Amino acid sequence: MSTKKILLVDDSCTARLVNRMIFSQKPRYVLVSAIDAQEAVDRAREEKPDLILMDIVMPRMTGLEACRALKKDKETEKIPVILLTTRGEEKYVQEGYASGCSDYLTKPVNDAELLDLLKAYLGE
Amino acid sequence: MTGTGNGNRPPAKASDRIETSSGKTAISPGTEKLQRRVHQLSLREQLERNHFLLERLNAASVRLLQTLEQHDVCEAIGEIIANLIGSEEVAIFHYFPLVRTFKLAWSSGIEDDTVRAFGSGAGFLGRAALGQTSQFPKRQLNTPLLSYEKDLTACIVLKSSHEIVGVIAILGLLPQKSCLEWADFELLKFLEVYGAVALQFQRLQQEQVAP
Repeated sequence: MSTKKILLVDDSCTARLVNRMIFSQKPRYVLVSAIDAQEAVDRAREEKPDLILMDIVMPRMTGLEACRALKKDKETEKIPVILLTTRGEEKYVQEGYASGCSDYLTKPVNDAELLDLLKAYLGE
Repeated sequence: MTGTGNGNRPPAKASDRIETSSGKTAISPGTEKLQRRVHQLSLREQLERNHFLLERLNAASVRLLQTLEQHDVCEAIGEIIANLIGSEEVAIFHYFPLVRTFKLAWSSGIEDDTVRAFGSGAGFLGRAALGQTSQFPKRQLNTPLLSYEKDLTACIVLKSSHEIVGVIAILGLLPQKSCLEWADFELLKFLEVYGAVALQFQRLQQEQVAP
């Protein structure tokens, strides 16, 4: 069984904790995390994750800005980015897709929904 | 043909039932197998829901535990409500039962005027403190709402050893969330007790440090 590396980016400790709980039961996924968008850009270059799960509203740099930066970089442009946010309104969803994200998931995250989405991007 | 009553499923066919030698009607093996499968799926769904609730309770518990060192109980409660329940409009009040007074401890996403109105202790917040039980306006349709309470989702009483430590006012839920669900009520019950313990711990620590 090949493992897949996921980079989780969220400034909220609770969000990182609940995602850790979800992934702790799934040995197939290796989770690395970043607490802000700038760190996410750096870690993505360094870790080359298979997928990035990223919050939008973060201090210093937003998830949308980070997503645009990742898509401009040859080393990270192909990594699928799923935006994970409390902002479920249509204009935010559109803004998310415009930044180059592959998918958009609203909080509170449902674990089944999240795992289904991961399967769709990373295979069974 | 017998209908199912809800109009969503097709009625059972006569061929699904078998007449036994005693004249009683039995369910055909195919239908029985299908019923077992439906039952298993329903059990699986329940298991998954319970498992997810435990994960969320675990995350909330670890987050509250971290506050013992970081002294950020209110921020932690706000984070738990935003990320695990789905509201970014929250105010937390300290409550002083002897003088029946509310004092704002923390708020997020609520206008100052509304926070002040809640702090006066009228309406649902006062009733929650007086009755020592959390209040959910959507479950208490006969109770009139004050003007600033129109978006109120819940008033959660933080209670430790029968003493009210504080009250959380949760206003609007996130747009993608229409109402509180079963797991949300469980998380709120958790906050009633363990949020109170963490809040009281922080208050006692502050009193100890203060000259």
